[in-house]
Amino acid sequence: MSAAIRGAAFAIDSAAEQVLQALRRRGFEQVQVTVSDTLRCELNLAHNEPSLLRSNEARKLSATGIVAGRRASSEGSDLGPAGVAALVDQIWSSAQSAPVDEANAVSTGQLLRLRRGPQQADPPALAAALRQLLDWRAAHTPTMMIEEALAAHVRSRSHTLTSGGSVIDCELGWCEMSVFGLARDAGQTSSFNFAGGSAETLTEVPTLFGIDRMMRELTQQVHTQPLGERFVGDVVLAPGAVTDLLGWLMGQLRDSPLIDGSSLFRNRVGDRVASPLLTLRSRYDAPGCAPLSADAFVTPAVTLLDAGHLTQLTPSLYGSRKTGLAHRPVAADGWELVAGSTPLAEVIAAVPRGALVDRLSMGNPAPNGDFSGVIKNSFRIDDGQRGAALAETMISGNVAQMLDQVVAVSRERIDTGSGALPWLRIAGLHFS
Amino acid sequence: MPLAETYLETRHHELRKTRMSMLDGNLTGNLRSVQAGVSARAYRDGYWGFASAPADGADVQARVRQLAADNARTMVGFGTRTTLNLPGAHYRGDQPAQGRPALSAADCGERMAALHAHCMARYPGLRSTRVMITDEHHIKQLQTEGGGQALARIQRAAVYVVLVGQDDQGAPIELAEIISGLGSLADLDWSVPALAPALDRLHDHLQAKRHAVAARGGEHTVVLAPDLAGMLAHEAMGHPCEADAVLSGAVTADLQGRRVASDLITMVDLAHHWNGHELMCPVYVDDEGTPAEDVTMIERGMLRQFMHSRETAARLNLAPSGNARAYGPDDEPLVRMRNTAILPGSSTLDELIAGVDDGYLLLDTSNGQADATTEFMFGVNLAYEIRAGKLGRAVRDTTLSGSALKVLQSVDGVGSDMKWSCNGYCGKKQPMVVSVGGPSLRARAHLGGE
Repeated sequence: MSAAIRGAAFAIDSAAEQVLQALRRRGFEQVQVTVSDTLRCELNLAHNEPSLLRSNEARKLSATGIVAGRRASSEGSDLGPAGVAALVDQIWSSAQSAPVDEANAVSTGQLLRLRRGPQQADPPALAAALRQLLDWRAAHTPTMMIEEALAAHVRSRSHTLTSGGSVIDCELGWCEMSVFGLARDAGQTSSFNFAGGSAETLTEVPTLFGIDRMMRELTQQVHTQPLGERFVGDVVLAPGAVTDLLGWLMGQLRDSPLIDGSSLFRNRVGDRVASPLLTLRSRYDAPGCAPLSADAFVTPAVTLLDAGHLTQLTPSLYGSRKTGLAHRPVAADGWELVAGSTPLAEVIAAVPRGALVDRLSMGNPAPNGDFSGVIKNSFRIDDGQRGAALAETMISGNVAQMLDQVVAVSRERIDTGSGALPWLRIAGLHFS
Repeated sequence: MPLAETYLETRHHELRKTRMSMLDGNLTGNLRSVQAGVSARAYRDGYWGFASAPADGADVQARVRQLAADNARTMVGFGTRTTLNLPGAHYRGDQPAQGRPALSAADCGERMAALHAHCMARYPGLRSTRVMITDEHHIKQLQTEGGGQALARIQRAAVYVVLVGQDDQGAPIELAEIISGLGSLADLDWSVPALAPALDRLHDHLQAKRHAVAARGGEHTVVLAPDLAGMLAHEAMGHPCEADAVLSGAVTADLQGRRVASDLITMVDLAHHWNGHELMCPVYVDDEGTPAEDVTMIERGMLRQFMHSRETAARLNLAPSGNARAYGPDDEPLVRMRNTAILPGSSTLDELIAGVDDGYLLLDTSNGQADATTEFMFGVNLAYEIRAGKLGRAVRDTTLSGSALKVLQSVDGVGSDMKWSCNGYCGKKQPMVVSVGGPSLRARAHLGGE
């Protein structure tokens, strides 16, 4: 199989500089410009068979201008003279009618040059990864139907400039793999599930990203039983479900709830807001990740939860200037929960009554953290023993309380590149 | 029906979006974007190849066509494969532009500020407001090797007004009023006078939610307002009736021609019109160039048809329905819904409520999710208890779930009302603009709670 895509010989740094100068000439006092191009080579499976080879070439120009405290942004893909002129006029026009807001500003003095990961696609390696997956499925989980799977290489170059002298240049390359499907046996079907992530190479398929575990468990989830009773018990959340908890927590630390005052944590910096077993820290050097915030700040490594203590909030520059809170830029991706010392088998063995939960299917938690959701791809636990796969079972509780009521953290983790997370045992959930 | 063992489609796709957000009167988002690209997808020797690139290169169309064909041939490295004869006609025609001239950024900003000011003045106990507006316009020029040539458009807009208050314990609570429709923001009436009555009702609900009680977990009789019935149609039975899901083993695969719902239920995925009106996501031709047809998934309780692309139709020896849709310039067509609805019946909402001795009225929903088993869930943001046919206390945010087969078979009342909406996105590898519609329904389903 030959390499199918060709790189775009395209000078993103000079393009960014030209756009920045055009915005300054138009009259903007502060400007942020990013020009990026992305090449994607992706092999797809559908219904247990190879199906499609994709080559995507994408280009993006993102620009923000601020004049007299008025701010507007625009994005486009046309970097020709006419395209740039239209974009500059669009931003100018939009900014003129925006309200004055002295909190608007762009980054200053941020310097970074980052080149990381494989820069060239290796289609034979992608094909080999999918062949390994198909062979393993046939040998070990023949009732598994891979509805769709992909193996991909992505190369992303971006160049960001601000009128405050920030210059950020990134060339990132990484590989991706994901598997989505269900198992079917004797006329019955499991729930769907998925696994995937980013890595430097796609070796170790299918153990990579916990794909083998997900596929094996799917074949054990075809025949399910309803809970049959209501009780208060424990859950052992798999890493995918832990993501939902952390997503809610990190959302509470960002601009919107900090500005409108609805964040439960705005005044809790330094307090213990979660179990002492939880330490959450950045891993911005993971495949596909970069130590950069969306508003063009280089983000230092951070431990956000230190043994359950909240170390900081994460407002953007705008959020910080709006609220008076300290500016602590963080990147969107690249986080890990520190592993515990207890083997997963012992975490499960300690549960008197509850469930091992791989996936939470639920609406967004309420602003106060209340939630209820269906536990999917889950097994009942009684007296420390994993039992039948569950059907139509819900749990309800409060996410903030769940973070506080973590009573065990597994030694094992699943590393998906942008996240490395263990299993968590949490007490006090309502099952119905 | 023409059949082809090779196939090539080329799409020039321009996607224009507006996104503005205002938080407590502060304009926190003020973004316009244009993405223009050319893509090609080729079917050769039983495999697909796809390529896309920005639209501004001189030779871009020839380059992506060649690359797509090369990619398909490269796939033969996986081994020889049976080549399907891809069925279906090839549409020729242009969908004209319609609607009012777009609103300027100044117009949008003024209206958003007026809505914020109205809410803060009229509802003094509010903690916060959020106003978000969005519109997007897809213009697709499609050519197919079979002779198809089409210009298709999807244009939709939505306005969200979120009121944030606090409950009796001081914890934040919120509710949203959302209006959406075909066209741009200029085609929706989102002026203060137009929205004021709905905002008054929303604020009344927010006050009731201050003293809300937890739902009792378990199975209950529930009356679903039209917003939830549309979500039920999309999530619960819509996804399992997508033919790629059927080929993957969704339980619907074995149920065609069998009873899956009460005979009060007829559920459809409509191409572009219903009841003489153009729908919110009108699809006259899909992104494979197939003329779009209505699909009746459930007819008076019986499972009838699935939604198809050319490939799924070939695999199941059926006709394509025009459901192959691609979201962005870099995306290939997948089997997706268009305008999915449960059709109305004859009851009134009051009659449905009056018939409940002990249950819940569910009025508003957030996100939802489907499963191949037909087990579904969606978040419920606004609900009330029903006792002896009368509305009682408001209920805290909860989740509705169940097996669609069981829930739809339990339906014993369908309202004569009908509401369509097209805010939000359906997610399935790519996002997608869809609309959902439905009447009020009464059924048995599972609520999350204590």
